[in-house]
Amino acid sequence: MSGAILAATDLSRRFGKIVALDGLSLSMGAGELFGLVGPDGAGKTTALRLLAGQLRPDAGSVRVMARDPVREGDAVRAELGYVPQQFSLYGDLSVQENLDFFGAMFGLNGAEVEARSEELLALTRLKPFRSRRADALSGGMYKKLSVACSLLHRPRVLLLDEPTNGVDPISRRELWQLLQRFAAQGMAVLLSTPYMDEAARCHRVGLLHRGRLVRCGPPGELRHSVGHGCYWLEDLPRQIAEEVLAQTAVLTRVPQGKRYRLLVRRDGEEALAQRVSQAGGRLTPTQPGFEDLFLLFTSEGGDGA
Amino acid sequence: MGTGLSGLMAVMRKELRQTFRDRRMVAILIMAPLIQTVVLGYAVDLDVDAVPTVVCDRDQSPASRALVQEYLAGGTFRLVGRAAEPADAERWLDRGDAAVALILERGLGERLRAGQAASVQVFIDGSDSNRALVAMSASTQFFVGRAARLSQERLSWLERLQGRSLAVPRLTLEPRIMYNPRLSSPRYMVPGVAAFLLLLVTTLLTAMGIARERELGTLEQILVTPLSPMALLTGKCLPFAFLGLIDVAGLVAIGALLFDVPMRGPLWLVFAGTLVYLLTTLGIGILISTVSRTQQQAMLGALFFMLPALLLSGFATPIGNMPGWLQPITYLNPMRYFVEFMRGCLIRGSGLAELWPKLLVLLVFGLSVLGLGALRFRKRLA
Ligand SMILES: Nc1ncnc2c1ncn2[C@@H]1O[C@H](COP(=O)(O)OP(=O)(O)OP(=O)(O)O)[C@@H](O)[C@H]1O
Ligand SMILES: [Mg+2]
Repeated sequence: MSGAILAATDLSRRFGKIVALDGLSLSMGAGELFGLVGPDGAGKTTALRLLAGQLRPDAGSVRVMARDPVREGDAVRAELGYVPQQFSLYGDLSVQENLDFFGAMFGLNGAEVEARSEELLALTRLKPFRSRRADALSGGMYKKLSVACSLLHRPRVLLLDEPTNGVDPISRRELWQLLQRFAAQGMAVLLSTPYMDEAARCHRVGLLHRGRLVRCGPPGELRHSVGHGCYWLEDLPRQIAEEVLAQTAVLTRVPQGKRYRLLVRRDGEEALAQRVSQAGGRLTPTQPGFEDLFLLFTSEGGDGA
Repeated sequence: MGTGLSGLMAVMRKELRQTFRDRRMVAILIMAPLIQTVVLGYAVDLDVDAVPTVVCDRDQSPASRALVQEYLAGGTFRLVGRAAEPADAERWLDRGDAAVALILERGLGERLRAGQAASVQVFIDGSDSNRALVAMSASTQFFVGRAARLSQERLSWLERLQGRSLAVPRLTLEPRIMYNPRLSSPRYMVPGVAAFLLLLVTTLLTAMGIARERELGTLEQILVTPLSPMALLTGKCLPFAFLGLIDVAGLVAIGALLFDVPMRGPLWLVFAGTLVYLLTTLGIGILISTVSRTQQQAMLGALFFMLPALLLSGFATPIGNMPGWLQPITYLNPMRYFVEFMRGCLIRGSGLAELWPKLLVLLVFGLSVLGLGALRFRKRLA
């Protein structure tokens, strides 16, 4: 893609014997909100650190606005904001002091730092807390400050590693609104998350599993690409349900209260329906969601067939 | 968009702000001057005189009493008690109530008067080697002198008896300790304390300061800014170098005002030497930080280096007194050269002409360690 602001091709990285990332390719344009979704250890952090030039790839390449973040670090850093997964601000400095410090790190002069931090504090609604120590902020406020600190230099690309982890639902929604606003203003925003439900809010989603990008596309398309039947199994005592399910080729099953959520291969649907009705249960078709899609990959060792 | 000087200044500002906000760091910074005064004050006590002495005079003759009196008169020994039996005297030493026991056997006066050989026993508590050494040499000097005087008296008596002069050659030893005539320790200690303080505020604090950035994840955030790793390193080191210089200035002032350190050498040379030594201490701090993931590890690593460096610097124990196999190792200890440099400069008043070899060694050490540290720091980030 020629207009790509951020592009990765065949990006791989291993740590000793562990292949943390295996051939990741993706490309993002301006104004796009991309979600990299994957469970713990899928390689999300590795991917983001590679994209930010914080790690060298073993193979493949990264381009941020057509530049290599490893070889042209300074040029890339000027265009890139990165919010790490872990705490990364100075807990013993105040909100304002953190902003001042990182502003100076990005080479802004005093007036610029003041104007931009004012703007960002207003945007993140952190103004009342500007003299509070960063380690005394709540999880959500801390993340917002982290975002603010990485936007001081007005980057065109923003990378966020699990920004909503450890953040209460209200702050989480606020954070999402901010990210959507940034994207609407033309920024390319890429974030990672372990939460499937958040994927729906992105323009595009990449499913990362064991270092591989197993699916990538708009959330709606991905959901429809499941290609298997999705059902609720109800009205059966657990023991009988287990017996019935054991006899048929269900791809995934998740007990939820008294029900089961199932993903069934198309050619096995009829047999299952028969068995369920014989046992006196009820099978209701439903729309497949991200969880189902994801379970499909994780339960089958990632082949996703 | 490079952030050179302004970024460096911002790092320094932040570093100072954080250092003074962190109780642990402040504790170390406050401890430093405290250590210097306490150690120096303690060193005054090390001035060996009035060694507690117990006397066991089993002779109780006029001669033995005169001997005891003269022995104590010099001021090196202070009578703390008398014992009836040598075993009692030993118990005084065991309890630590006395450090020296003087034992005069029965019949001492008699034998001396009869012109026979007699011996005197002195027990010395060797647990404080410095004090033991002084007690031993004072005792030796005293009794050798007494022995000479006794022979002289005997000779004069013979001369008078025979009516002619008997010339006997005599050799006297007059040791004089130069540069530190009172063997007073503060002047001897100031250089060592300075070397140690600098290790504390530069090596320890730098190692911990860098490890903290790593441990708390702030390094990751800094590394996505255009600040160069070298500016970061410099910005983190300079405040501590500055605090170290202030500490040395304070130490030299306290030494000169309170403890009579002579301050013979040029002051600029003291600070030039300190600056050169700082290259090493900072470099080691950086090196330690590159093998530490947490502040705790950095602190342990720094102590791990500081203690042997201190012990092998000749700071308290003269290097000549160390076991033979250990002595060559001290040549690898940069602190040794700094201690020698400071002694030369402050106490002997040597100038650049005499001290440049030590400065050169320190410079070579400093540049290599600092270079290696910076290299490893950069590599570890990649
Ligand atoms: N610096 C490293 N050294 C060794 N192994 C590493 C390193 N970084 C990551 N790994 C390994 O690589 C794999 C992917 O890790 P990564 O941190 O990228 O996953 P993640 O998706 O971010 O997980 P999480 O949700 O836990 O943050 C894991 O198995 C991890 O143990
Ligand atoms: Mg991670």
